[in-house]
Amino acid sequence: MAVAELLQYVVTGLLVGGVYALMSIGLALIFGVMRVVNFAQGDFMMLGMYLTYYLAVAWHTDPLLGAIVVIILTLGLSLIITNVTTMVLSPMPRGIKTAYATRAFALGAVLVNEARAYAFLMALLLAAVVYAFLTRTDLGKALRAAADDPEAAAYQAIDVRRMHALAFAIGIALVAAAGGLLATYHPIEPTVAVNFIVLMFVAVVLGGLGSVPGAFAGGILIGLVQSLTLLVLPFQLQNVGVFIAFLLVLYLRPQGLFGRRLRSV
Amino acid sequence: MLRVSGLSVAYGGLRALDGISLEVREGEFVTIVGPNGAGKTTLLKAVSGTVAATAGRIEYQDRAIGRLPASARAGLGIAHVPEGRKVFPSLTVLENLEMGSYRAAARAGRRQTLEETFVLFPILAQRRAQLAGSLSGGEQQMLAIGRGFMARPDLLLLDEPSQGLGPRIVEQIFATIAEIRRRRRLTILLVEQRVVEALELCDRGYVLETGRVVLEGARATLLGDPRVQRAYLG
Repeated sequence: MAVAELLQYVVTGLLVGGVYALMSIGLALIFGVMRVVNFAQGDFMMLGMYLTYYLAVAWHTDPLLGAIVVIILTLGLSLIITNVTTMVLSPMPRGIKTAYATRAFALGAVLVNEARAYAFLMALLLAAVVYAFLTRTDLGKALRAAADDPEAAAYQAIDVRRMHALAFAIGIALVAAAGGLLATYHPIEPTVAVNFIVLMFVAVVLGGLGSVPGAFAGGILIGLVQSLTLLVLPFQLQNVGVFIAFLLVLYLRPQGLFGRRLRSV
Repeated sequence: MLRVSGLSVAYGGLRALDGISLEVREGEFVTIVGPNGAGKTTLLKAVSGTVAATAGRIEYQDRAIGRLPASARAGLGIAHVPEGRKVFPSLTVLENLEMGSYRAAARAGRRQTLEETFVLFPILAQRRAQLAGSLSGGEQQMLAIGRGFMARPDLLLLDEPSQGLGPRIVEQIFATIAEIRRRRRLTILLVEQRVVEALELCDRGYVLETGRVVLEGARATLLGDPRVQRAYLG
């Protein structure tokens, strides 16, 4: 097989993985702080896709910008949005047509789809913002402290219930934004959640439950493995490679890539 | 500063505290000693709000705090250094200390308190960028106390700071507690199983057994009490 072809698959995998990483961070954050596995995470992603879609249709908002608008919307209105999920939507798949969805940069012999490249960069930027928030601000550190030890956090005057609400809002906003980014190149349909919630879980477990950098790495890894699986297996079976990698990592490193072993007292 | 009256706590059907009354006056160093399972940890948790009282009253700075959530009590200047240290393992030493000064009243003076903390615990300055989970037990205890100190508290609750540590580190930790008290006229409530060391540090003490106060008095009285000598000092 040509090196260029391999490289093409690696680049594609990396680009898709960036968006996976962003959605997985959302799930990891919620799990890390609340110890709750948010099964609705995929639905919030779907919602993000639709919001972005309607923004694009109604106001011709660029979907990349739409993803940001979605963050603001979900951050503020995460509770209201839970109720909006009951919205009736037709099962017909939709898509957003942008000029860059069908364009590609040529990097040597490798073709980089523009929509995926922009979505990847935006995902990276958002992940960096989240990381900076978690490591540079008092509120972000308090969020991590509450995840580490809620009782000890309360002793530091950290309102743990408020941290739960915050983690949930951010987690949902991130996955909805990832949905918005995904909408630039992935068909939008009501059942889209199912395909992705599994990938998010795998990414979070791969990275080490609740670890945000771990979920990021897990998301990238899944994108890569998924793409490289296409070299040997047909498209319908692209997640087989993901699950093989998943089992392999769990076998070799049960605590996940970035996970800690249980603390000894 | 702190007045507890008729405090009872029950877990399931089991009574952990049975009508406890005690007082800690401003600037005082009070120790609570007693055997394992006497309810010492439960008492501290009830004061800081992570265990719910079934009866009784807790007053802090002449204000009933029994219904406030734990984070709000910490916000009022009660710093709890919990049993088992409970540092935040995935945060760095510095971040742990910063979280100590999370409360609004301590945040403004963070830089200065941090310098003071590093004077008290030079090892923490050396380890500042390290993850707290990677510290030794003694270092984690110092970090837990340092984190409590960072809150610039009015009342410092210390739960078994000697637990699981070697004699030399225990000695060092007790010396630092005494030093903290000299620097800041802090009010301290210390719970300990090391009866001799704890009683020697304090102004006054209480002996707790099966959820009740069985003895109380000034340091000299307790150290000289035949029951204390027989039960704890050998």
